[in-house]
Order: sequence, then structure tokens, then C-alpha cells
Amino acid sequence: MLELRLVQGSLLKKVMESIKDLVNDANFDCSATGFSLQAMDSSHVALVALLLRSEGFEHYRCDRNISMGMNLNNMSKMLKCAGNDDIITIKADDGSDTVTFMFESPTQDKIADFEMKLMDIDSEHLGIPEAEYHAIVRMPSGEFARICKDLSSIGDTVVISVTKEGVKFSTRGDIGTANVVCRQNTTVDKPDEATIIEMNEPVSLTFALRYMNSFTKATPLSSMVTISLSSELPVVVEYKIAEMGYIRFYLAPKIEEDDEETKP
Amino acid sequence: MGIKGLTKLLADNAPKALKEQKFESYFGRKIAIDASMSIYQFLIVVGRIGTEMLTNEAGEVTSHLQGMFTRTIRLLEAGMKPVYVFDGQPPDLKKQELAKRYSRRADATEDLHAALETGNKEDIEKFSKRTVKVTKQHNDDCKKLLRLMGVPVIEAPSEAEAQCAALCKSGQVYAVASEDMDSLTFGAPIFLRHLMDPSSRKVPVMEFEVSKVLEELNLTMEQFIDLCILCGCDYCDSIRGIGAQTALKLIRQHGSIENVLENINKERYQIPDDWPYQEARRLFKEPLVFTDEQLELKWAAPDEEGLINFLVTENGFNSDRITKAVEKIKTAKNKSSQGRLESFFKPVVSTSAPNKRKEMSVKPEKEAANKKSKAGVGRKKK
Repeated sequence: MLELRLVQGSLLKKVMESIKDLVNDANFDCSATGFSLQAMDSSHVALVALLLRSEGFEHYRCDRNISMGMNLNNMSKMLKCAGNDDIITIKADDGSDTVTFMFESPTQDKIADFEMKLMDIDSEHLGIPEAEYHAIVRMPSGEFARICKDLSSIGDTVVISVTKEGVKFSTRGDIGTANVVCRQNTTVDKPDEATIIEMNEPVSLTFALRYMNSFTKATPLSSMVTISLSSELPVVVEYKIAEMGYIRFYLAPKIEEDDEETKP
Repeated sequence: MGIKGLTKLLADNAPKALKEQKFESYFGRKIAIDASMSIYQFLIVVGRIGTEMLTNEAGEVTSHLQGMFTRTIRLLEAGMKPVYVFDGQPPDLKKQELAKRYSRRADATEDLHAALETGNKEDIEKFSKRTVKVTKQHNDDCKKLLRLMGVPVIEAPSEAEAQCAALCKSGQVYAVASEDMDSLTFGAPIFLRHLMDPSSRKVPVMEFEVSKVLEELNLTMEQFIDLCILCGCDYCDSIRGIGAQTALKLIRQHGSIENVLENINKERYQIPDDWPYQEARRLFKEPLVFTDEQLELKWAAPDEEGLINFLVTENGFNSDRITKAVEKIKTAKNKSSQGRLESFFKPVVSTSAPNKRKEMSVKPEKEAANKKSKAGVGRKKK
């Protein structure tokens, strides 16, 4: 028996909007600690990891760990039917091949049940080791989304370099080049307008803007984004979900051509 | 061709060893392709109307070039890194099979003449497809084309499938693409079918994993090879009356061909007088292949001038199309530098059991931050 009641239903809507274009089908894993998901895009270049901790739900009951395979597009269709102020409850019976989404209006005068078929998804689960990143950049999420959008009108890839001076986003395309530098800035009045750079080592990596732009669909979830970079690792773009958990996107970097060490 | 009835046998008895994959998911992977098989397919399919085929001004067939060019670009555009492997000298045992094919072709040629006289269009098409033969010229054309495209070409000492499997075993490539089930018998860890099918057919790629095949069939690799020989391979005849299903039963029961031979009813099953199964087994187990050190796989930039010269000037391809295609190769080359997540993170096994969710990725400092945010949450109702 599974019953998860989320007062702030819009949150789940936002989560779905941020991942449904990246991943088609995914397994949602429920345990006593929380509701989570790990899935890769079809080309295995990007990965999304979502965690909504049990404490964030108004009511959280999960008798035993279960994994529910869902088509995210279909799930998103159903969640779109929920109002922004609605309370969403996710329900599933043991051994059932369906999941139910219940939407309650804030005044309790309308209750809607949507039942969706589950599917068997044979997906690989990747072990993501703990790592010390060379550089961690925290910046306003809106600013990051703007930069990615702007740069993608010029080129296909972005080089993110972190130095003592700040973080530089640059691209190159047929019509020319673009560089955006954000400096460390902690003196603003509002904490969610700050740009904070922690750097152990300078780092410079190249990524496909297409994926970065897709990640920025999570912008409505959090006013700040954290970008963690290391030269030998995929970048992590993390959006905290207030009082509940996070959504993290991992993206494999582009590798220099004459690097013969790449795996087959 | 290949192993008779193996595909069906695996679909029935080892369904977990087969996976349908999207073409795109092979992004960034190095893949060894059995070239001869592909060229044969191109000659049959590409640009054929009745007995007419694509030709250049001199009347030489160019279907194989057209096919090789467009399909390879498709692979490159999807970010794959293909390596083409060509057949070398066939092993002596295969000569019998080749002679049979030759005579079948001769029959088909006669049938074709008959059909041409009667003018039956369906027959003309059917028999003219059967007369297709891949010549040395076709092979050489394709090698030249691939080299100009910057795609590595390997000439196997003997069987191309065996060489492909060896590349895959040593980890030089991720998978082997062929339509010939032999690749599994040669022990290619991952074997793909339908990778080279045209995109218009929308067939998913079939991925076979040899380790899963063995696990599901509950056989060792030696037993699997014996099974394939019993099913019927290119190297020797099979026993009349023993098909794939019976072969599997016999191998499961007796463990090896030797034991099977001792135990089966010789009245019912006629074992061929001259049945070189041991020799066939040896060819599958220790085929003649180049080892790693002798091979160098390098993907280079395309030679634009060379391609235009070869395809447009010599073989009458449309020059605009080739120029555009070369652009595509160049862009694709840029794209293939994208890394895959698997080269950084390794899969963990607990996929099927949905029990333990691990929070592997939480870093110490982030955990601290999480705790802070946790402190604010006090409303948990049970």
C-alpha cells in the first residue's frame, strides 16, 4: 500500500515539466525515506536524479519498497489536469499494475481521480560515486537559464570555465562568438541574487547546449541553481526543491577528439 | 547463412538475452560491422527496379557505393563510430558451402533467363536478386569510399564475423553489427541486428548479449558452439532430422556432440559420413584473426576532394548531394565527441529488485545543506 499526499501539488507538476522532455519512461522508486527517480535520456548522455523526501509530504505511507514504471508523457498529461492549488495524492495498491493520482481542490469541493497504467521498464541504474568537485558555482537559476538560452542562439556547445575571476560561459557558431562572465557577488541584498563560486582548481569543460537548455526547465522549482564541475566527471546541475529534496541533472562532457582513451 | 533457426530458438528459450534498442542509443559507441554482408544487402536492395540497378556512365553498378555512403553517414550522424571489417580468405571448410551458393546462383541465372523470356516481372525481380554476387571490385570500391570518408577499414585474415567478434571481445569496440547469427557463435559479447536497416523501415535494433544467452540456455560457451554446429552452420552439414529445438534438447541432455553421437538413435538420424564437426568447432573457438596490436582504429576527417573525385567524377553521383553529405560527415564528427555517462558511472546491479534505493550521490557538504532544510520541516502526519 502506497499513499503519498502532497499539499503543494504544483510542485509535482513542475517536476514533471522539467524532466518529461529529457526522459520518456522511468521507474519511480518509493521507500520509507522518500519518492525518487533515476533515469537517463535515450542517448545515455544525460541523467536525472530526483528525490522528494518523505518529510515533505503531508502524509507518507509506503509499507514496502516499490518501483513503478511510468511513461512520463502520460503522467504529465494527467498532472496537467490538476489545478495549481490542488492537493495531489499518489496511491497504489500492492501488486496492482496501476497508480492513482487524486486531485483535491483547496476548498475540498472537487475531487478528481486519475488512474494510470504502469509499465515494466528494464532500465539500468547507475551508481554515482561521491566526488569532490573542482569547482562549485551557485547562481540565480533565472540567470543561468537566460545565459543558456542566449548562447544557444549563437552556437551548439558551451564551454564553462571557472577561474579565480569568475565563471565564464562561452560559445562559438557560424555567425560569431559569445562570452558571458559572472563574477562572485555576495553583497546583494537578497540572498537569492548572489553568485557564489567555490574553487579548488580551475576547470574548463565543454557541454552540448541542447541538454543544458532542457535542464533549465527546472528553473521554476528553485531560485538558485548549483553547478558542480570537475575535469574528469559529468557536470551536476542541481535545483533544490524547498524542504523536500532536489532534482539533479548530470551531463557527460564533450571529449577532445584525439583523446584515444575514450571507452568504446 | 549463419546458424539455422537460432534466432527463433533464442526468442523462445532465452527471451531475456534479446533486447530491442533504439538506434539512437548507440550514440558514441564504436561498432564493428561485417562489411561483406552489408554490401550484399545494398546490391540487392538499393535502387533496384527489376534487373536494373544504379550504374555509372560506364554501366558499372554503383548500388553498393550509394548504400554504403548513405548508411554510413546515418551511423556517423547518430554519433556512432563504425569500423568495417572485410572478409579475407574463407576457411577450407566453408568452400563447400560457397560452392553450394555458387551453384544456387547458377540455377538462379538460368531461372532469370527463363523469366526474362516469359516476361514475368515478379520472377525477374526474384531471380535477379538471387544472382547477386559481391565481387572483389565491389569490395575494393567500398574500401576506397570508406577510407575517403575517414572510417577505419579492417581486412580480416579470414572470416569477417570472427574478426568482429575478436574486436568486441578485446573491448576495442562495443558491439558487432551483422545480420549473421554466426557472430554469437564466435563469441561476440554484444551482437546487434538490424542496425544497418534503412531508417524508413523503422525496425528497432535487436541487441543480443552472449553472456545472457548462455545464462538463459544454461549452457557453457563450448556447449553453445556445439549447439550451433548441430543446428547447421556454414562449415559442415547438419544431421538430417535435427533442427534447432531438438539440438538444444540433445545438448542439454548429453553436454557435447561426442556424447550426443554416442547416445542418439543412429537408425533414425543419419550422421553424415564425413562430418568435420571437430574442425568446425575449432574454427569457431580459435578462428584466424588479427590480434589487437596489429590493428589501429582511427576515425579521421573526410577527404572532401577525394570523395567528390571518386563519387561525382568517376561514378556519376550528383555533386550537390555529395557536397552536402560531406558537410554532414563533418558536423557528425564534431558531434561524436560527446561522452556517454557510462564511461563515468558504472551500472549497479539492483535493477530488477526495487527494494533498496541507495542515495549514492549525496556529497558531504550537500548533506549538511539538506539537513538544514530538513530542520524546517516539522509537519509529518501519520
